[in-house]
Amino acid sequence: MKINVADAVRYMGAGEGNEETRRMAEETAAELEKRITPRYTWRVFRTEMRPDGVFLPEAGEILAGNLAKKMLAECDAAVILLCTLGAEFEAMQRALEARDMARAVVLDACGSAWVEAGCDAAEEEIAARFPEKYRTDRFSSGYGDLPLESQGWILRVLNAGRRLGVTETASHLLIPSKSVTAIIGLSDKPQGAKIRGCAYCSLRGNCSYRERGTFCGV
Amino acid sequence: MAFKMPMLLDGAMGTMLQRSGLKPGEIPETKNVTDPDMIRAVYRAYAEAGSQAVYANTFGANRQKLAGTGFTPREVITAAIRTAREEADKTGAMVGLDIGPIGTMLAPLGTMSFEEAYDIFAEMMRIGEEAGADMIAIETMSDLYETKAALLAAKEQTKLPVYVTMSFDATGRTFTGCTPASMSRTLEGLGADAVGVNCSLGPAEMGNIIREIRANTTLPVIAKPNAGLPDPVTGAYGVGPEEFAQDMAALAEAGADILGGCCGTDPDYIRAIREIPRPERHTAMDRGAVCTPSVCRETGKIMVIGERINPTGKKRLQQALLEEDLDFLVDLAVRQMDAGADILDVNVGYPGVDEVSMLPRAVQAIQAAVDLPLQLDTTNPEALEAALRVYNGKAAVNSVNGKEESLATVLPLVKKYGAAVVGLTLDEQGIPATAEGRFAIAERILNRAVAIGIPREDVWIDCLTLTVSAQQEQAAETLKAVRMVTEKLGIPTVLGVSNISFGLPNRMLVTQAFLMSAFEAGLKMPILNPNQQEMMDMVAARKVLNGEDEACRAYVDRFAEAAAETKTAVPAADMTLKDAIRRGLRKEAGRITAAALQSGSGIEIVEQELIPALEQVGAEYEQGRVFLPQLLSAAQAAQEAFGQIKEAMARSGAKSADRGTLIMATVQGDIHDIGKNIVITVLENYGWRVIDLGRDVAPETIVRKAEESGAPLVGLSALMTTTLPAMAETVRQLKAMKKPPRVMVGGAVVTADYAAHIGADDYAKDVRDAVKIAQSVFSCEG
Repeated sequence: MKINVADAVRYMGAGEGNEETRRMAEETAAELEKRITPRYTWRVFRTEMRPDGVFLPEAGEILAGNLAKKMLAECDAAVILLCTLGAEFEAMQRALEARDMARAVVLDACGSAWVEAGCDAAEEEIAARFPEKYRTDRFSSGYGDLPLESQGWILRVLNAGRRLGVTETASHLLIPSKSVTAIIGLSDKPQGAKIRGCAYCSLRGNCSYRERGTFCGV
Repeated sequence: MAFKMPMLLDGAMGTMLQRSGLKPGEIPETKNVTDPDMIRAVYRAYAEAGSQAVYANTFGANRQKLAGTGFTPREVITAAIRTAREEADKTGAMVGLDIGPIGTMLAPLGTMSFEEAYDIFAEMMRIGEEAGADMIAIETMSDLYETKAALLAAKEQTKLPVYVTMSFDATGRTFTGCTPASMSRTLEGLGADAVGVNCSLGPAEMGNIIREIRANTTLPVIAKPNAGLPDPVTGAYGVGPEEFAQDMAALAEAGADILGGCCGTDPDYIRAIREIPRPERHTAMDRGAVCTPSVCRETGKIMVIGERINPTGKKRLQQALLEEDLDFLVDLAVRQMDAGADILDVNVGYPGVDEVSMLPRAVQAIQAAVDLPLQLDTTNPEALEAALRVYNGKAAVNSVNGKEESLATVLPLVKKYGAAVVGLTLDEQGIPATAEGRFAIAERILNRAVAIGIPREDVWIDCLTLTVSAQQEQAAETLKAVRMVTEKLGIPTVLGVSNISFGLPNRMLVTQAFLMSAFEAGLKMPILNPNQQEMMDMVAARKVLNGEDEACRAYVDRFAEAAAETKTAVPAADMTLKDAIRRGLRKEAGRITAAALQSGSGIEIVEQELIPALEQVGAEYEQGRVFLPQLLSAAQAAQEAFGQIKEAMARSGAKSADRGTLIMATVQGDIHDIGKNIVITVLENYGWRVIDLGRDVAPETIVRKAEESGAPLVGLSALMTTTLPAMAETVRQLKAMKKPPRVMVGGAVVTADYAAHIGADDYAKDVRDAVKIAQSVFSCEG
């Protein structure tokens, strides 16, 4: 697992960055990799199409809306994944904010890239476990019409409090904040890209990269 | 029935209920009322398997988790205990009130306050005792702070014995970073009857955790592990009863006394472990410790207690306390930590400061950013208790003395909250002139402490330094007393050393000589200013001579670093403050400013150097030539310069260098506050005083603060779409004030259109915008 430093620089709103920004990001990423390893957990659920979304019988819950239906249209199962940097990242961030806000901003961006790397590692593990299956793109609560409120039951069915110490606030934000839940469909057919790129991004009307005529690369 | 400590506990509840058909997503505790027979069968199975205690199905029966189920904690807990009682009585087993985490994180990680958590636990504890529980089992905890709230509630609200276990992962820490050592030290201090581990891992992975707990407590140690880890596809746990029992026998060897199982275990596992022998153990502690959740400092070696957070004679700190500027205290703490302090003394006593509210706030603010044990320094018992309550970990108390009144008020608090305590060798007659007199008081303090149950290793003695220029013969008496306490009582000594040289030229030399002599007499914990490099050099040297610095490694590193620093930081002699700020060189900015203040005024420096430099960096940022980290580096260098100016103005008696006050807050429901903190870092350098209300701030709080302060500008930040309504509501309430302030809003999801739509005056796209808005507000003002 490695932090994608170029991504981290982009998360800072620094585009390609200048040399100093890249150097700070590299140093911070190295320190972060040394101190914290992303933790993740995942579970497989069967999927059943319903008019109002995709039902997961073992969870007794529904992934509501059209996005889930579209993403999982050709799938017979879905993996729900949770990855977190844990509370120790939070402590590291707070301690750094009190010392050096500039570094703290860099650490925040590196943290986001690190949790993505954790999701990638989990996905590799999933791929190894299901070599015969094709996977959809990862998608999450809050994308498209998949309600953010589903975070609550997702955490519950993953036993997230016990397994990884992740909880949610009343406004459905995850704590620790560098935590991500994602859904990945498993299918017998090859799965094309369905949600990556500007056309699917909820920020497309209000994106500073697009304003400048570039894109973020996610 | 008399309580006899159960040594064999039960296994999983959840696993058993899932097997009996509990549906995913169902709240298991509601079954206590709706399907008591399903729960009863589990109690019976464990009691019959030989469990000496069965835990009632009350793990999540708190009002937060039950909200929306239609059941109250009283209904669910009472039903659970009643059924458990009926089954337990058939075999003579104890009934445990089971208490799990609330499910909402406490601040600073989450948003729940310590007292709110306490209140939720207190309700459960009271109901559990009334319903007839024999004991309380607090388990699966990951946050030491939440665990402390639960244990305090158990101790204050009931008379029941309490078993406490936390959950550790493969790194050997809990999810929030708590170590087994810190857990053990803190919970034993707070009066737990047994401590240990549950859930987490399989027993094979738990040996080191159990050993670390064993080494840090005199209490019986609990091991209640999972049956391995669950498979992500099948959900099945990997370790069967026989293998589990083998591994548990090894844990008993490693130090576990009380055994049971957690997720994935069932009555077969309990049967398999019931005959495991427990070795006889000698559990006396020889070393005391103080700790935070992740840093445990054992006494017995040299440790530096940082003395800087004490307003006596420090104008700038006095001003910060009066203005409730906690960031300044945090900064003092950070600098001492970076300079190598092991423990920080915290004293906020000053006329006009309400210590009872300020000391706990200071403790919480410092603990959020600085991971060092604190020594709570106050003469006000109420402030001491308030601070001990909210301290996360095991604190030290500075101080008790030989006066009857002090012994009677301070020691019970030290005992209740499980702290270490500094005993000053003075009493109603003052400070004895002889070492023997001081030793007698030390002995009296120690005996009184031990008599009420404070372990002797938690008593530290301060033999008191007097100024040598005034009472020359006293230096020798102090040193002699240190030696007597060390040799005859065998407990650690602390000593404030700086006083010794007061009134003499070349004070450092005298202080250093005294420190070296005190070390020779046995001093372990000097209280000093760790920012004085010469003193810390001496400490480093002494650690080498004491054999505490293995292979002289820390000493060598210390001077290798110092050499590297002088090499890289060769500033051009003609470097200007503007250059230093633009290049983000903090030390240089501070040094140049200090020199400039000898001849020029602070205001001039701010207006002619500091702000133009920031403006230039800001302009480059707008052009995309520098980025946020560089902008902030410049701001921090400016902050260093500004700190020097504030310090000088405080010394000269000028009220404050502030050019106006504004309020910043992240709105209710939102916990992401880095954006707000970025803006504050930059704004403060323009000389505006920023009242930082933090994150997740209720509209009412923001309005109240706006009214109190009369600030003409309020900045609000929100990062998530879900919290935008809270921003709208806050703007609405601010605009309904008699004299509404100007309101600027910003944050990842906020747009100019949205800002206009909710009635905000300004939209700040980024930190530069925020500066321009503030400039326009304050130029009109003044």
